[in-house]
Amino acid sequence: MKIVVCVKQVPATTAEKRYTADLRLDRAASESVINPLDEYAIEQALRLQEAGAVETVVYLSMGPESAAEALRRALAMGGEEAYQVTDDALAGADQWATARVLAAALGKLAPDVALMGMSSDDARGSLVPGAVAAIRGLPLLSYAAELMLTGSTARIRRLTASGFDVLEAPLPVVASVTDQVGEPRYASLKGIMAARRKSLETWNLADLGLSAHDVHGAALTRVVEVRPPETKAPTERVENLGPAEAASRIADWLAARKLI
Amino acid sequence: MNNDICFLAEFDGGSPARSALELAAGAAGLAAESGGAAVGLAYGAGAAAGAASLGAAGAARVVVLSDTDGPAISLAAAAAATIGDDAPLAFLAPATPNGRDLAAALMGLLGLPALGPVRAVRIEGGRVRAEQSTLQGTVITVSESMADAPQPVIILALSGTFTPLEGGGGAASVSTAPSSDAGALGAARIVESHPADAAVANLEEAAVIIAGGRGVGSAAGFEPLNELAAVLDGAVGASRAAADAGWVPYQLQIGQTGKVVKPALYVGCGISGAIQHRVGMQTAENVVAINKDPDAPIGEFADLFVVGDLFAIVPELTAEIRRRKGIPS
Ligand SMILES: Cc1cc2nc3c(=O)[nH]c(=O)nc-3n(C[C@H](O)[C@H](O)[C@H](O)COP(=O)(O)OP(=O)(O)OC[C@H]3O[C@@H](n4cnc5c(N)ncnc54)[C@H](O)[C@@H]3O)c2cc1C
Ligand SMILES: Nc1ncnc2c1ncn2[C@@H]1O[C@H](COP(=O)(O)O)[C@@H](O)[C@H]1O
Repeated sequence: MKIVVCVKQVPATTAEKRYTADLRLDRAASESVINPLDEYAIEQALRLQEAGAVETVVYLSMGPESAAEALRRALAMGGEEAYQVTDDALAGADQWATARVLAAALGKLAPDVALMGMSSDDARGSLVPGAVAAIRGLPLLSYAAELMLTGSTARIRRLTASGFDVLEAPLPVVASVTDQVGEPRYASLKGIMAARRKSLETWNLADLGLSAHDVHGAALTRVVEVRPPETKAPTERVENLGPAEAASRIADWLAARKLI
Repeated sequence: MNNDICFLAEFDGGSPARSALELAAGAAGLAAESGGAAVGLAYGAGAAAGAASLGAAGAARVVVLSDTDGPAISLAAAAAATIGDDAPLAFLAPATPNGRDLAAALMGLLGLPALGPVRAVRIEGGRVRAEQSTLQGTVITVSESMADAPQPVIILALSGTFTPLEGGGGAASVSTAPSSDAGALGAARIVESHPADAAVANLEEAAVIIAGGRGVGSAAGFEPLNELAAVLDGAVGASRAAADAGWVPYQLQIGQTGKVVKPALYVGCGISGAIQHRVGMQTAENVVAINKDPDAPIGEFADLFVVGDLFAIVPELTAEIRRRKGIPS
């Protein structure tokens, strides 16, 4: 049983973001991390491996050269090897192009489970898993709170508006996880050392049998405007008041806005 | 190609979900500008019987994709066949798990451009433009599909992006989608369903949300929040810290991996305001925070920041509101 975890490098939530002149995120200027939800996907894969349900955990990332850092960090958490798709023609890739490229790479890697996070911190579309499933012609098990593998079947537990469902599909599948699967582990010093010796292979578009034309110059969408959020009135502060006085001030504030 | 605006209409327990009513109104508004029609693609138990009623919500026509419950992604082939060659201008889907999966599969099957999750959509010079809050709310971007990209552009709309119409037009004309093989996308099936013991509030529809975090300390600590919610006709929500601790059900979690809410009033009690929580409530119209730490991050984006102990202030606030409303305590 082989799992490929798709890992995206994203700007850290605390990092200052900048846009380039052509309205793309300037990734070089931002501090980068593994997309936090992808750490949960890694954790789920490694737990299945520790439980003996999976032999091999492989990582796949599409991104600029610097995204190799995210793959090294993933390898430090565990797993066997990593693949990076990087190509100048993929700069500014949207979710459709990303899905197209990941689907082609997954075609080469042929895992039993292609495992992803439920969304990426920067795009937040949650579109890549479903699109990869559609392009590859595979079942999708999305928003998993837990992934279970038995024989030739994958099952997930998915939380619903009123409890949870269990979904099932025959392998191979595409699956995505939420942050309910369990807290991601930290890489140990030993893990970090070991990661340096693990294989990290780089592919370009041609290695996947794709051309820039196949991915429509990396995008079907474009950003036409970037601006800061609307500035709101400054925060009003209520401090150093007794509870009754503070409550009365809040009630006044609510009444002034016709909320009570 | 035409100028119609398609939208996904999810049915839930026999009637249209709130998202269906919002998207119908959004599609009607956009279609009036584009010169096309608002066309609903309905699915879920009760969709066949309820399809015509979407006319009052704004739809001119409704195509029923399925009349049973099940993973929405299995309807991607049927949706693709319905859209067919006569491609509409835009396809609105709710930014819910079901809506996203179906939209994603459609994007993959037909090679369509997709934008979202968005919080505003408009038509400018015949092109659909969508506004997104990205990078955890630090930046607003406006996007469109490339001029030479195929139609329709898929738009994932957050709840609250459009407001349902009140007392709109008559019945919509209804047809049924041609049957199509779902293929592998239909292979994932729900094999067990475990409903919760007690129903939980639908936060997306609440006008007032009283949210509690780690500072609430325990399940019992939520009692004063319940009482405040009751006098304000509101619902109780939570941070992940409170949901993870098991003090409230996960379904009440607000944030990146919980609900995205847009109430008229959000009151955060004992919540620090982490970015992952903030993305779930930043479009609330009025944000009040009660926190004993004067430096809590929520103090930087709340409209009213009250520094103090929630256990002292919340019961006083409930009593004060009761007094002002003339409700006996
Ligand atoms: C991938 C990922 C997804 C996530 N998704 C979500 C999500 O969807 N939703 C979410 O909420 N979080 C989410 N988180 C977690 C998030 O990062 C924070 O850890 C979480 O929001 C913190 O919850 P909190 O504010 O309740 O707790 P804390 O950060 O611990 O804050 C508690 C606050 O309570 C105050 N307090 C304590 N006692 C009192 C008192 N008596 N009176 C008044 N104030 C008091 C303290 O001053 C403090 O500010 C996610 C994290 C990750 C990595
Ligand atoms: N460039 C990428 N490289 C590898 N995996 C990705 C990439 N973009 C998205 N993914 C995967 O798809 C998931 C959902 O991303 P998104 O659809 O962008 O919200 C992420 O959590 C990743 O697992």
